[in-house]
Amino acid sequence: MCGENDFNKFALLLAAVFLAGCTSAPQDEVSIRSAEVGFSAKAEAARSEQPKEAGEAKAAEKEKPAAEPKSKQAGNPINELNQPGIAPETLSIPSIGVEADVTHLGVTDTGEMAVPDNGEELSWFSPGYRPGQRGRSVIAGHVDDLDGPAVFWDLTELEPGDEIFVSGDDRELRFKVHTMESVPLDLADVDSVFGYHSSPELVLITCSGTYDYDRGTREERLIVYASLVQE
Amino acid sequence: MKKLSVSLVAMLVLFSLLGSLVMADEHGDMAKVRVLHASPDAPAVDVYVNGDLTLEEVPFKTDSGYLEVPAGTHDVEVFAAGTEYAAGEGVLQADLEVEAGKAYTVAAANLLESIEFVVAEDSMEVTEGQAKIRVGHLSPDAPAVDVGIIGGDALFSGAEFPGITDYAEVAPDTYDLEIRLPDGTQVLPLEGTELAADTVYSVFAVNTVDSLEVIALVDYEAAASPDEMPTTGLGTPEQSQSMWLLVGGALFLVAASGLVWRKRFQ
Repeated sequence: MCGENDFNKFALLLAAVFLAGCTSAPQDEVSIRSAEVGFSAKAEAARSEQPKEAGEAKAAEKEKPAAEPKSKQAGNPINELNQPGIAPETLSIPSIGVEADVTHLGVTDTGEMAVPDNGEELSWFSPGYRPGQRGRSVIAGHVDDLDGPAVFWDLTELEPGDEIFVSGDDRELRFKVHTMESVPLDLADVDSVFGYHSSPELVLITCSGTYDYDRGTREERLIVYASLVQE
Repeated sequence: MKKLSVSLVAMLVLFSLLGSLVMADEHGDMAKVRVLHASPDAPAVDVYVNGDLTLEEVPFKTDSGYLEVPAGTHDVEVFAAGTEYAAGEGVLQADLEVEAGKAYTVAAANLLESIEFVVAEDSMEVTEGQAKIRVGHLSPDAPAVDVGIIGGDALFSGAEFPGITDYAEVAPDTYDLEIRLPDGTQVLPLEGTELAADTVYSVFAVNTVDSLEVIALVDYEAAASPDEMPTTGLGTPEQSQSMWLLVGGALFLVAASGLVWRKRFQ
């Protein structure tokens, strides 16, 4: 009898634990997946190399006019700075199987970067920099929707060097991932994430961290930085 | 040449191993610095910042693009490319002080024997819909020049080596510009120069006067940013992954209760 009673208690306890588990962190896969992410491949070596490559290209292209009589440089060097970028229509990331349409959105009534109302599409912050223009062009997507995983569910799986393709205006641009960080909302430097950079960068954003019921959103944002590969 | 000259020139700035780490959490205390090699007879150089190799083999007429560096004072030393680093033995050394939120151009100018740094603060703003431009005279043996519209007014007058002018704000348009002597003699034509809206330009005259040429750089392009990050999740933890656990738990509870009741009434 005593043993039976214990069994009953155990069964109830088990059920209670099972229920309690539903709201505890270990069940929140988004949180688990973004807990230990982050890298920066743009370490010292890459940074040193960047100006080197750019320098070689520039030096080569300007050597000719320097050798010629000064009257005509090959082109107007100021006009060669023109780098307008594209209005993005689609984005693909082969390494994690993402292929999505890109809508053009601005800000919400509360000043947030606006996002699509569905889990399949991405949004480009169109008042900001265009992909391919100098500066950080930002494209956001949902990590999950009411049915489960959404377009940027696997963004945490990206690795340094992974390629991102952005198409629009009959051109395709190729970017390479160099940095990933998961930043608490309160610490995110919005002006920097959306800010000027002397070369074209693509920034992808989705939600990460644990769910904050008071704010109605996750506590962190996963931010992926990629730099344009000049073809 | 590279190996021989301990002498060299050039550039500057930044960074270090800390750079990438800093990026994650200290955006607020960062400055931007760009290095330009404008010494015509100096070889390519390596730049060490606070003792760390930061830029490698920077050749003449090359700029580094903006590098993010912590605000504060940085020890910048320049060596001929490939030279082994030894503190205090660089060809050029400067303690560069940079303020948070500001941007700078650090040019290594003049001939090798007189190499010197020319530092200017760069503008990170422009009136909406306008263009901004300035010129830098970094040609060591060229006389003072004006930059202006061909057959028209000067935008910049009396620019002298080594100097960088203030910015002039102009309407975005295509301009037939020229570099000319104050008496009107053309030194270098820059016809059909397109200046785009919301863009800040620096145009540097470099090399010796008999080979004078121009390096053009964009200092800044304006674009909007939102006040807040996007809300990029439509779901909550319960509704997706945990929904089935919730249902399962409830069923189990019902079953267990039934078991208890059954036992009790047996």
